[in-house]
Amino acid sequence: MRPLHCLYLAWLVVISSHVPMQAAGSARLTVYVVNYPLQYFAERIAGEHATVVFPAPSEVDPAFWMPDPPTIAAYQRADLILLNGATYEKWLTKVTLPYARHVDTSAGFQARYIRLADAITHTHGPTGAHAHEGYAFTTWLDFDLATQQAQAIAGALSRKQPELRETFQRRYAALAKDLMALDAELQASVAKRPQQPFLASHPVYDYLVRRYGLRLKSLHWESDVMPSEAEWAKLRELRQEHPAQWMIWEADPMPEIVARLRTMDINSVVFAPCANVPQQGDFLSVMRQNVANLSAAFQ
Amino acid sequence: MMDSLYLTWQYVVFHKIKTLILVACVTLIATLPLALELLLRESEQQLLARAAATPLVLGAKGSTLELVMNSLYFSTETPETLSMATMHQVMTSNLALPIPLYVRFQARGFPIVGTTFDYFDFRGLRIAAGRPLTILGECVIGATVAERLRLKPGDSLISAPENLFDLAGAYPLKMQVVGVLQKAYTADDLAVFVDLHTTWVIAGLGHGHQELAHTTDTTVLLQRSDTSVTANAKLQLYTEVTADNVDTFHFHGDAATYPLTAVSAVPHDAKSATLLRGRYLARETPHHMVRPKDVVDRLLAEIFRIKNVLDAVVLVVSGATVLAIALIFALSLRLRQKEMTTIFQLGCRRRTIARLLASEMLIIACLSGALCTGVLVVLAHVDSDLVRLWMVR
Amino acid sequence: MIRMRALTFCYPNTDLRLHIPELTVAEAQKVAIIGPSSAGKTTLLQLIAGILTPQAGSVHVGNVHVNALSDARRRGFRITTIGFIFQDFALLDYLNVLDNILHPYRITGALRLRHDIRTRAAKLATEMGIGDKLQRRPEALSQGEKQRVAICRALLPYPKLILADEATGNLDPANKTRILELLCRTVEAHHATLVAVTHDYELFGYFDRVIDFRHFGSSVIS
Repeated sequence: MRPLHCLYLAWLVVISSHVPMQAAGSARLTVYVVNYPLQYFAERIAGEHATVVFPAPSEVDPAFWMPDPPTIAAYQRADLILLNGATYEKWLTKVTLPYARHVDTSAGFQARYIRLADAITHTHGPTGAHAHEGYAFTTWLDFDLATQQAQAIAGALSRKQPELRETFQRRYAALAKDLMALDAELQASVAKRPQQPFLASHPVYDYLVRRYGLRLKSLHWESDVMPSEAEWAKLRELRQEHPAQWMIWEADPMPEIVARLRTMDINSVVFAPCANVPQQGDFLSVMRQNVANLSAAFQ
Repeated sequence: MMDSLYLTWQYVVFHKIKTLILVACVTLIATLPLALELLLRESEQQLLARAAATPLVLGAKGSTLELVMNSLYFSTETPETLSMATMHQVMTSNLALPIPLYVRFQARGFPIVGTTFDYFDFRGLRIAAGRPLTILGECVIGATVAERLRLKPGDSLISAPENLFDLAGAYPLKMQVVGVLQKAYTADDLAVFVDLHTTWVIAGLGHGHQELAHTTDTTVLLQRSDTSVTANAKLQLYTEVTADNVDTFHFHGDAATYPLTAVSAVPHDAKSATLLRGRYLARETPHHMVRPKDVVDRLLAEIFRIKNVLDAVVLVVSGATVLAIALIFALSLRLRQKEMTTIFQLGCRRRTIARLLASEMLIIACLSGALCTGVLVVLAHVDSDLVRLWMVR
Repeated sequence: MIRMRALTFCYPNTDLRLHIPELTVAEAQKVAIIGPSSAGKTTLLQLIAGILTPQAGSVHVGNVHVNALSDARRRGFRITTIGFIFQDFALLDYLNVLDNILHPYRITGALRLRHDIRTRAAKLATEMGIGDKLQRRPEALSQGEKQRVAICRALLPYPKLILADEATGNLDPANKTRILELLCRTVEAHHATLVAVTHDYELFGYFDRVIDFRHFGSSVIS
């Protein structure tokens, strides 16, 4: 082979080794989400192919957060907007977003939304239509539904970048495997004591309850606020027909509350919904801890 | 021949006014039909352009013309409405991007167009001042609306009540102008764009008011139970969406039943378009999917039949002008009778006289031709702008 | 130069009948023709020039039997051989002086407009005292200047015969004399024959011969 040919081939090898291995036309997507679970799912599936943005402040509950106009404008400019659905985004009817680029990740199981039982609706006049107070929206606490939401995300990303469909599907499968492992573990735990009664500090576990068949009654207690005596009395009254020995908290409760509950023979266990970014770990590690915490109650 | 042209040139230059009149008449005869043809063709193209840019429109069965005119040109005649559920059907079909439209209300004589953010991308509309829509109650106005009403971002605009005597119907909503669009030379310049939900607020399907579930003001309540509260007419509804009260705005009833006047459908490809149209061909379906281009084509064919009348008129006018020109040339010949007699007496040939007259006609024709060409070239250059100015008035 | 024999002419539908038994004009002669109005003096000039054709008789100009020529040949003969000076000057108001002088060269193929012709025209105009007015239009000239332009136009093709029909009729007395002097001097210089119809008896002295139209026996038949 002539020296020039060798040189040319060597140049080609050098050049090709420096070319980023990215398929043609696959620019990095900008994906905006409305809560942390969706951020986690999107990052697991899209990886380096997308910049996932969750603009809610870390100290707020995203379900009750309203983005300001500049943030809404940022949502409008995103390549993809991932919505939780099930009326999670209360602000959706009050903002203008492009239908072309938003995806309701729970649209696939709309028929399985849980309507809020004790919401107070209102009408105008005796014959007016009701204003619906909505549905339970922590859909990701049902790991099967969470898997479906992740699948919707994978589908949306694949439609945006069809050349990366296989990558997204592969990553989705890995995520689904992790989520279903959690699902199986929790199913197995619950199976040990299926009729175990529980209390919950807040009514945010509807999908968890339905999926795993928990017997659960909810209160409206804050983990960092000592309940009033009336609320303690209400708890005592509730326990008469629902003798729960475990209370599920969204976050670590005050030691005083834990201690007082212990006097009532009620143990506290944390099952963090993880709607916003956790201080430590990620969605999966938080859920694994949640499942471990809850599984302890079935021992 | 050159001598004849030279003499004739000197003659026409000397008799400027007569020459100008003749040139003007001939130019008019030549230019008018061609200019009309140019402008009519451009008008046709522009009318068709908007229709051609809108692949499909879904509406309730009824007049296709009314549907197209309302959804493309925001005419005041509102077609029968269809529901949001129908729009969701299009969305879930994955065959097209649906762009809902609710064009029913007006604000100071301009149509309020309720739609989604996709509309602006679809029509290629850009913001000239301010920002796009973000929050309920905001509006973005077309360039002509801004000019005529002298509005800018930060100003407000109140929707007009549909019926002054129907107090329970649509009530005026004070909308915040947040943006002004760049001039598009289409019907979009004359529109007030709001989010779809804002038009539903104007329609009375949504509103904001004080919180009722835990209110202590019993004078606004008809009845209360553990799960339901019924308010009476005393309850004051907000007439403007502000940062303080936006959270209180909500909607009653099933959103799937909320009304639209049309859904523009942008199919993903030709096959999707065919499949989508096929879904609405059945006689029993209450909706129809139309191709605006077909509807506007038919409309233009009817309208431009008048072109035949115009052509006939132009022909008659041209004939009269030709006669007038012939008369002018005949009078000119009489005026030059002495000159002709003189050169005859001097000994010129008979064909010299004919040449002189022919040269005059030739020079007039050439000048008119040049002027006509110039006018048509300029017109061809500015015809699209002229037609836009006339159409978007 | 001019010979007319047994010439008879009458206009259709009029009472004017012209009968000329014989008329001869020698070469380089300056002849004045006088007579009452409507006697046919202009008609005579037109018969000489071949503009009109007699019903009987012959007209010879030089060796050319004018009334035997075809219309086209007569025109060609006329423009190359005969120069016309009209009472009302017959200038074209849309041409300047130079173009008016050059006019005959532009209306016939028999005369070629070459550069030397333009030079000659300018020289002729200078001789006539209007050399500085070549770019002006007739409206800017006096009556005398206009007639000088007409004379230049008539003389430019070096015609053998000049026919002047009341050439001084529209001029004031001072100009009449001046123009006629100029005309006669130029005609002599060009060795041309001049036949001029005139009413101005005081100018007879400039002519070699005066022909009284009444001698031809022409009369208006009543």
